[in-house]
Amino acid sequence: MSGTTTEASVILRARGIRKSFKVGERRLEILHGIDLDLERGELLGLMGASGAGKTTLLNVLGLLDRPTEGEVFLTGHAAWTLSHTERSHLRNTKIGFVFQFYHLLPELSAIENAILPAMIALSGRAFRRERKHYTEKASEMLDAFGLGDRMGHKPGQLSGGEQQRVAIARALLLDPPILIADEPTGNLDRATGERMLELLLGLQAERQLSMLLVTHDERLASHCERVVYMEDGQIQADSRVPVPH
Amino acid sequence: MASTVRLTGPKLSGEEEERAVQETPSEPFAGETPQAEGEPLPPIPRGVQGAYRAFLSLRYLRARRTNWIGMAGIMVAVAALVLILSIMSGFLNESRKSLRGSLSDLIIQPLLEVPLDRQRGTMIPNDPALFLAIVRADPRVEAACTQLQWYGILTVPGRGYILRDVSSSGLALVHLVGIDPEAEYTTTDLRESLLREPMFPVGQVADVDDPFAPPPDYRPESRPLPSVILGNQLAAHWGVFRGDKVEIMTVTVDPRTGDVGEPSNQAYVVAGTFRSQNNEVDMSQVYFDRRELSDLLGDSTDFSAILVKLKDYERDKVAVVADLKRELIAAGLLHDDRFRDLGEIRTWEDFRKNLLRAIENEKALMGIMLSLVMVVAGFTVFAILSMMVTEKRRDIGILCALGATPRGILVLFLLIGFWEALFGATAGAILGIWSAIEIDPIERFLSDTFGFQIFNRDVYLFDHIPSVVEPAGVAMIVLGAFLCTLIFAAIPALKAARLDPIDALRYE
Repeated sequence: MSGTTTEASVILRARGIRKSFKVGERRLEILHGIDLDLERGELLGLMGASGAGKTTLLNVLGLLDRPTEGEVFLTGHAAWTLSHTERSHLRNTKIGFVFQFYHLLPELSAIENAILPAMIALSGRAFRRERKHYTEKASEMLDAFGLGDRMGHKPGQLSGGEQQRVAIARALLLDPPILIADEPTGNLDRATGERMLELLLGLQAERQLSMLLVTHDERLASHCERVVYMEDGQIQADSRVPVPH
Repeated sequence: MASTVRLTGPKLSGEEEERAVQETPSEPFAGETPQAEGEPLPPIPRGVQGAYRAFLSLRYLRARRTNWIGMAGIMVAVAALVLILSIMSGFLNESRKSLRGSLSDLIIQPLLEVPLDRQRGTMIPNDPALFLAIVRADPRVEAACTQLQWYGILTVPGRGYILRDVSSSGLALVHLVGIDPEAEYTTTDLRESLLREPMFPVGQVADVDDPFAPPPDYRPESRPLPSVILGNQLAAHWGVFRGDKVEIMTVTVDPRTGDVGEPSNQAYVVAGTFRSQNNEVDMSQVYFDRRELSDLLGDSTDFSAILVKLKDYERDKVAVVADLKRELIAAGLLHDDRFRDLGEIRTWEDFRKNLLRAIENEKALMGIMLSLVMVVAGFTVFAILSMMVTEKRRDIGILCALGATPRGILVLFLLIGFWEALFGATAGAILGIWSAIEIDPIERFLSDTFGFQIFNRDVYLFDHIPSVVEPAGVAMIVLGAFLCTLIFAAIPALKAARLDPIDALRYE
C-alpha cells in the first residue's frame, strides 16, 4: 500500500481479503479484496460509514473471522493456515481486543476479568504458580487507570467508563504488540469518551503498540498518524497525517 | 488523565521475556506471498488454555442456582439406586440363607433304580459307606453324611376333620428324611435348626445330642413309638405338640422292578420341632432316624442321598463337583453322564436354581428401572446446560476473542457437568449408603408418620429390612452417574464449542 513500508516493520499484513455471506440464495460480499499493512508502533485509524465492512475487516484481522479469500499474516505467520490451537494462542498473546460494549464476563470481578487472558494462556498448574504475578500486574494497571478501589466489583457495579478501563487492562495484560479497538468510545458519553481516548493514546505511545482503531468519529481519527477510509468493502483512501501533539 | 498515567512496565515473567526476545528480530516475508518459513511460532506451552476452564466452570456452577437442580437430580438417582440395590442384595442374601434351609453344600443323589449298564444290568450298590469313603477322602471336604429321603402323607389321629377343609390344603404330603444325627450335625445346620427359637411354641427337642429319644413328657400306653421331628410350621398347622402321636402313610417301590408296592402306615411320637427358616421346608419336612425310615419303607433301601460339606464352598464348589463326579463314576457309584446330565451330584444352589435366579433377576430389573431415574437426571443436566450455553453466548465469544480454543470451551461446559456429577454422585452415594444402613429406623419413622406399614414383616421371614452395601455396586452406580451426566452434558458443550465467536459477539 504505502511505498515507505519495509517488510521488517510490518506486524500485521492482510492480502486479498474477501468476505462474503450467504443471504438466502445469493451471496453478499462484504469485503472486496482488501490489502492492508499495519506497522510496528503504528496508530492506524479505520474509518467509514456504518456497513462499510469495518468490523468485519477487524474480525478478520483479529483472527476471529475466517476470510472467504485471502490471508492474514501476523508476525509473519499465515494465520488462517494454522491449527485452531495455534491461532488461538496467537490471538491470546499477540492481540489485545477492546470492544465497544466492553465485553466483560458478568460473573467475574474487575480484577478477575483483567487476568482472564493469563488464565487462558496458562495451564492450571502454571497459573497457580504465576497467579500472584499477574494479579499484581493487573492491579497495578487498574490502579493506574483509577480503579484501585473497585477491583473486587462485578461489571454490573461499574460504570461504562470503568468497565472499558477494565477491558483495556485485560487487553494489555499479556503485553501484546497489537491492540485492536472497535469503537472504544462509541458507547460512552462525550467527556468519558475523551478521557478513554487519552488513556488509549497514552498507552499506545508509551508501549509502542501497533494499534488498529475503528471509529466513525472524525475527532477521534484526527489523533491517528494514519487513517484508512473504507467504503463498500473497499479501501477508499489511505492517508498519513502528522501526529498532532 | 491518561497523560498523568505512568505505568511502571510490569515485570515480565521468564516465559514472556523469551517471547519478547523472539519478537524483536524482524520477520522476513518471502516476497508477495509471505510464508512464515524462517520464524518459529510462539511456543505453545504444554497444557495450554487450562486455568480458566476449571475456574469459570466452578464460577458458573455457583452463580447459576439452576445447576443445583441437576445436582439434586443426580443425587436422588444415585441415592435411590444405592439404596434399592443394597436392599435387593440384602434380600438376596437373606433369601439364599432361607432358601438353603437344611441343604448341605453338595448333594449326591445316585439314581439307584437305573442300571449302570443296560446290557449287564449292574446296579449302583446300595451301600452309602462306599460313597462316604470316596467323598471323605477328598481333602477339601469337611464332612459328609447319609440321608434317606421319601415322601409320605402325614395325618394326626383325632384331627381328621382338617382333611375335610379343602381350602386349607389339609392333606399334607410331607418330605420324609432319614438321618444319622451325629454325621448330619457336622454336615448340615440341622443342629442350629433344632435349637433355633421356634415360630410357634409347640415344643422343642429335649436333648439335641439324642434327638430321637422319646420326649420326656411322653407316657406310652404300651410299647413306645419311634420318634419323629416335624417342621415347626407343619406341627403348628396340625396343632401337634411335643409328645403327641402322628401317623405317616406311604407307599414303597420295589427297587428291582420299580413297581409301586402296598401302602404302609406307622404311628410316631413327636420328639420336637425344627425351624430351618425356609418356610417350605418348615411346612413339609419330617426327620426320622434313618433306620426307622428304612424300616417304614420295608428295608428296600438304606439311603438316597449323600450330603457333603466343603471347607470353602465358594472357592471349591466347581472343582469338587467335577472331581467327585469323575471319581464316583470311575468307582461305579454314579452313572456316566457324558451324554446327558442326570444331576446326580449338585450344589445346593443348583437345587434352588429357579428361585435364586428369580431374585437375582428381580435385582437386575430393579437396577434397570431405577437407571431411568438417572437418565431423567441426565436430561435435567442437559436442559440446564443447554439453557446456560444460550445464556452465555456472549461469554463464549469473549473467551474466543481472548484466545480460548473451541476445545477449551467444550471442556469448560463438560466440566460443569463433571462437577454436577461429582457433587451429586458423592452426596447421593453418602445418602444412599446412610439410608441403606439406617433403613430400619427410617422405615419405622415413615411408617409411624404416614400411618401404614411400608415393610410388612408378616409377608417376609425376616423381622428387619435386609440391606447389604456392596462397595463394587456403589462404585458402578457412581461411575454410571458420571458417564450418564457427561454424555448428556456433551451435547450442549459441543454446541457451545461450535458457536461462531463473531455471532456470539455481534449483538449486545
